Amino acid sequence: MDSVLVVEGLQKYYGGLEALKGISFTVGRGEIFALIGPNGAGKTTALRIVATLLSPSDGKVSFLGFDLKKQPEKFREKISYLPEEAGAYKNLKGIDYLKFMAKFYAESEKETQEFIERAKEIADLGTRLNEKSGTYSKGMTRKLLLGRALMTRPELAILDEPTSGLDVINALEVREIVKRFAREGISVLLSSHNMLEIEFLSDRVAMIDKGKILDSGTPETLKDKHHAKNLEEVFRSALQ
Amino acid sequence: MKKFLNLLQKEIRELITMQLFISLLFTIFLFYFIGQMLKTEMKKAMRVQEIAVLNLDDSALSQNLLGALRSANFEPKPVPDRDTQKAIQWTKGTNINLLLVIPPGFGESVEKFENKQIETYSFLRTFSIVGSRGSVIINAVIKAMNEFISNDYLKRKIPEIGPEQLKNPIKSRDFVIVKDRMAEGAAEKIAGFVSSQSIFVPIILMMIIIYASQMVISAIAMEKQNKTLETLLTVPISRTSIVTAKMVASAVVGLISAVIYMIGYRYSFGSLMGDVSRTVGSGMGGVIQKLGLAMTTKGYIILGISLFFAILVALALATILGVLAEDFRAAQSLIMPLIFLVMIPYFLSFFSDPKSLSLPMKIFLYAIPFSHPFLTTQNLLLENYQAVVFGILYMLAFFIVLIIIAARIFSTDRVLTMKLRFGKKKLVI
Repeated sequence: MDSVLVVEGLQKYYGGLEALKGISFTVGRGEIFALIGPNGAGKTTALRIVATLLSPSDGKVSFLGFDLKKQPEKFREKISYLPEEAGAYKNLKGIDYLKFMAKFYAESEKETQEFIERAKEIADLGTRLNEKSGTYSKGMTRKLLLGRALMTRPELAILDEPTSGLDVINALEVREIVKRFAREGISVLLSSHNMLEIEFLSDRVAMIDKGKILDSGTPETLKDKHHAKNLEEVFRSALQ
Repeated sequence: MKKFLNLLQKEIRELITMQLFISLLFTIFLFYFIGQMLKTEMKKAMRVQEIAVLNLDDSALSQNLLGALRSANFEPKPVPDRDTQKAIQWTKGTNINLLLVIPPGFGESVEKFENKQIETYSFLRTFSIVGSRGSVIINAVIKAMNEFISNDYLKRKIPEIGPEQLKNPIKSRDFVIVKDRMAEGAAEKIAGFVSSQSIFVPIILMMIIIYASQMVISAIAMEKQNKTLETLLTVPISRTSIVTAKMVASAVVGLISAVIYMIGYRYSFGSLMGDVSRTVGSGMGGVIQKLGLAMTTKGYIILGISLFFAILVALALATILGVLAEDFRAAQSLIMPLIFLVMIPYFLSFFSDPKSLSLPMKIFLYAIPFSHPFLTTQNLLLENYQAVVFGILYMLAFFIVLIIIAARIFSTDRVLTMKLRFGKKKLVI
């Protein structure tokens, strides 16, 4: 599988704090790659760097051959980022928010409409899209944002805790949507501390703790390697 | 450009909220209400006012004095008692605010030029200027009567010399020179007139700067508070465009709001301050024209440019402060230093002459970019064009430096990591 994203020796310092200690991983086309680990492990920092929000202190990140440090704008054209605690503009209707975001990516009015229709299908909010997003529940906002993140069919979708705050039914729906889009060729880099979710979703996993990748591979190979029944046990074993 | 316009449209839509409309309507209503109230009070003050009079003299002169008061819109009400203390008690029980006591032998004493005092008792039931207006008018009436009595006496005693010449043997003609132009008039009157004509300039300036800055600082803080900034920073549009769109939208909405406020202000209070247009063609208007102290179209354009650059500086400064704010509440606190930077030159331009300030104070005043538009009107009228050009160039340089800093902050991690935490009072980077 050819890699769309290559991360090599990525380091990030916040003042004296070393948040990432030289992590490396790749994401293939149409692959769902997950970073799993406890809070403060460095998952969000890694995702934010790939999403061009933070600059790396050291190391290299290349995406479709573009270098992050030199051409961040090329990244932004082809990625889509869903932050963990993201919100929508409260004074905009859901549909207007989607239109606003679509216009940054679409080449024409027709394409804008295509993006919006796709987002409507993903978000599945029906007539509530005509209401201001400030009236939405957390779950509805999350689905609207997921629709926004995937409507452009990005080369790489970066999803930070995609099911955060969702109830069981909505979380299941979101997982199905992410899987479907990956099958259609979209690469996904996601983070979660929900190991069961990751086991269901991911093609490959990297276990991260205190800024270091402890182990990586497919869920099955990791389970075999650590003689574990699930990823939670793998993580505990990797920590030892 | 298409992406920028998309962003600009969103920024304007975010700023034009129901709260903004309500706030604008409420302020205009408040202006209207206060304006109407003041107008009514002024009309009341101009109406015939009752004055309690205890006339213990009843001479022709005291009758003349009461006649003069009637001409000055007073209605003398005789007090039923013939005793001052009782007259005070009687007046206290009425709504009348002024008691005039004319002592016995008043007319006779005045005829003999023996100083005889009349007494006025003002019942201070309010501290407003309108409330104490009565005694001021009485004093003016007494002054006029003093003039009349002394002139009459002088005319009779020394008919060959006019009383005016006798009392004021030295006369002066006042001339005012501005650059190479000269006109006859009193300097204090001309200075007062010019400052009354330009009184709106600093008010407009202050309102626009504060309003637009508040918009941009809140817009950035709200992006952080609503967790929309991270998403916005990953869309394919330059960071400079994001900063610029916020600034342009805030400037447009701030400008519209300020104009609406000023129209409301002018409509409500304008009639109380006197209409500028009425003075054109009058004696003072002619002097002003002759001295070149009337603002020309060119002058207004230059003032507009100066104002525009001041707004740009304020917006760039507010953008940087907005990044430091963690949420909307913090943004409201961060606007305070900016308000002080506007208020300092605002008050200094009102109450002092920058040229008379000490050197450190002068440096301090001119270092504040907002001082320059406050001084522009004065400099234009006095043809100090160098100072005006310097002010504009200084603000331009200041703006360029600030916008570079703002763009750098937005293109680095700092836009997400830099914040002032008011609880802990320290800068966290």
